[in-house]
Amino acid sequence: MKPRIALGTALFLALSCLRPSEERASADLEVGQAQQGVLSVNVDDGLAAVRALDDNQLVLWGSAPSLSFELTASVDRQVRVDVQNCLPDAELQVLSGNADVTPLEDSGTPTRKSWRVALTAGTVQLGLAAPDTDDTEPFRFALLSDVQEAIDRVSDIYDRLNDVHDLRFVLGAGDLTSRGTREQLERFQTELLRLKIPYFATLGNHELGTHPDLFHEYFGRGNFHFRFHGVAFTLLDDASASIDATVYDWLDDWLAASRRDVHIVAMHIPPVDPIGVRNGSMASRNEADKLLARLAEGRVDMTLYGHVHSYYSFDNAGIPAFISGGGGAIPERFDRIGRHFMVFDVDAQNGVTARSVIKVD
Amino acid sequence: MRALVLASAVLFKTALGAAAAPQPAAAGSTTVAPASAESVAAASADAADPPAESATTATRAHSGVLPVAAAVVPGLLVRGSGHFALRQPRTARNLLLMEGVGLGLFLGGGLTIVFTGASRYFVAPAATATMLGFGLFSTSYLADIYGTVSNDGAAALSRYRPPARWETELGYRRIEDPEFAYRDLLVERVSRQIGPLRLSPSGIFSTRGDTARYRIEGQYRLAGNVDDPRPRDVSFLDLTLGFVHQRHRPEHFSRSSTELALNGRYDFARLGPTLRGAFFELGAGYALARTDYDLAGIKVPADLEHVLLGRVGFGVTLRGASAPGSEAIVYYDHRHDDYVAGLKLRGIGSGVLGHFGVEARWFFTESVGLALDAQAGSAYLGGASLLFRSGASRPRVASMPPTETQP
Repeated sequence: MKPRIALGTALFLALSCLRPSEERASADLEVGQAQQGVLSVNVDDGLAAVRALDDNQLVLWGSAPSLSFELTASVDRQVRVDVQNCLPDAELQVLSGNADVTPLEDSGTPTRKSWRVALTAGTVQLGLAAPDTDDTEPFRFALLSDVQEAIDRVSDIYDRLNDVHDLRFVLGAGDLTSRGTREQLERFQTELLRLKIPYFATLGNHELGTHPDLFHEYFGRGNFHFRFHGVAFTLLDDASASIDATVYDWLDDWLAASRRDVHIVAMHIPPVDPIGVRNGSMASRNEADKLLARLAEGRVDMTLYGHVHSYYSFDNAGIPAFISGGGGAIPERFDRIGRHFMVFDVDAQNGVTARSVIKVD
Repeated sequence: MRALVLASAVLFKTALGAAAAPQPAAAGSTTVAPASAESVAAASADAADPPAESATTATRAHSGVLPVAAAVVPGLLVRGSGHFALRQPRTARNLLLMEGVGLGLFLGGGLTIVFTGASRYFVAPAATATMLGFGLFSTSYLADIYGTVSNDGAAALSRYRPPARWETELGYRRIEDPEFAYRDLLVERVSRQIGPLRLSPSGIFSTRGDTARYRIEGQYRLAGNVDDPRPRDVSFLDLTLGFVHQRHRPEHFSRSSTELALNGRYDFARLGPTLRGAFFELGAGYALARTDYDLAGIKVPADLEHVLLGRVGFGVTLRGASAPGSEAIVYYDHRHDDYVAGLKLRGIGSGVLGHFGVEARWFFTESVGLALDAQAGSAYLGGASLLFRSGASRPRVASMPPTETQP
């Protein structure tokens, strides 16, 4: 090929990339796995990020209300296990293997708990869950997204969240930070100490501003699935206005496994923006329609989005949908909403039984 | 605002200049006067303030690389740099004004979007202004380079022709889209010009049978040439009404839309004689789309969506061995609902932008040609079509190309 043609072709193709989230989907598979010295850890389904691991300590950041993990020691060992971003009433139990678990003194932060685990050489399966995890009683969760540069004011949103009775956790539909830098992710984590319940989030496009890989290091997978009280939750990484082709295979499995259950799916960018001319939606309408057809076929009960800094209630493919981007980022003007979050009551038998928008300002 | 007013004044002035130019012979005439391309261009660009700049004097300066270099490097910031170096100050000023207006619209629209938080009440006009601004800003750069490189505007003029009465297209496209399995597409299109109205049914079909897109559009020419066999200006304004139906059988959905758009082309020769053979395209419109889902055993209501349409492009008339009507266009299309949709980027801004493309139509003879098509957005698409056309051909005249004259 002539150099001029090659250069022209390269420039043309450099305008875009077809799978911008491919590396993040691959990174999802690495989340929750680590090996250091005499210890190795493997968190099932990647539902926690390994924040630190050495011969004496394991620190996890939870992405779900309940999770399990394998801890392998090559010698007998006393290990301190710290789990951050967990339910305040979560308990660590031995699911299989030979180990003793002893709770350590309360850290003073409800979402951070510690245990001393006495391991004998070999592998032990540990489970972290609240006592009522497998109940099918109704429960309540919240949705908060798009904090971005409003991190300085997020504490009063957390205070309002703390005032909501019986709230078990908060879902985050992305854009925790404005640029996704290490400093901003650290700051977000620090501010979260004020919140008395865990915050399970996927990433938004603003986490891709500088280091797209940092989110996984701090807060774990972008695509994940968990269950709580018999209700299935799926969070998807569509921060690049598209879902990677690999993730559609995972989604098919999650949809199939939850077809008969109440199933709530959250992601940052709505597949279709209710104000279509704005294009606050996926890059391709065809992909959006493909995704919605799958969600409808999987009998998803509710879809939750962020990205648009306002509140919208609509249907997509017959599925009730809510956009709640009220974390404080530049608001959509003249919408009379402002900073807000949403609260949902869910029942494994009856689905989403109630919802409300809580205005903060 | 002042820049906008100034730009409007220039556009009106140049439009009036073109209108005041000698009228071409009537359609069908076989004794066309050998009108001078240069005189038309000069009349259009410089009618109000002689002495006019001419392509001929500009051509003398083409021997140096300075104008080209000036258009490429300082021209990135200051449009018209190439034409200042080419001693075409009026054209340079027009390009600079075009850049200013474009930048103003781009920033005005963009900042409106940012500071209203993409408010539902402002986003459509603001996004349209942003697109228009981007089009003016970017094509003024390309036009400046074009004017310093092109020295055969008269040859371009000799390639202008009216729309063919009939045109058919049969082609192949290869598409790479990680989200869909189809790869090989057949393209068919028929186009019929009836007076100012053009009807164009078309179809795109996957060879696997898993997707198809049917489109029929009617374009009514509000302004611009329809039947003049020797047009001297390629500007036009069309009103387009289109219906599209797209099927994706394996993914269980189909999408239908009705769209209304204004599509225009502006002949850059109106801004200066050295720009003869280049043009700027702009389209803006609205579509109402409906998605139907076809899921076994599940009744799913259809979704409705409002779609903003927009397109800006920079094109040139091809010369050399090509027959009249040959041209190439590089463009930006704001569509997010076609096989190639919005750009997917690695950073923050993924999804908002539409896609980019290049189209070229090369006619080997009066009747037979080849179309090349390349697009990059949510997918990569490339391919070619055979073109056949008839009717409204350019009459054979002895005066091709027209003689360039000094003012």
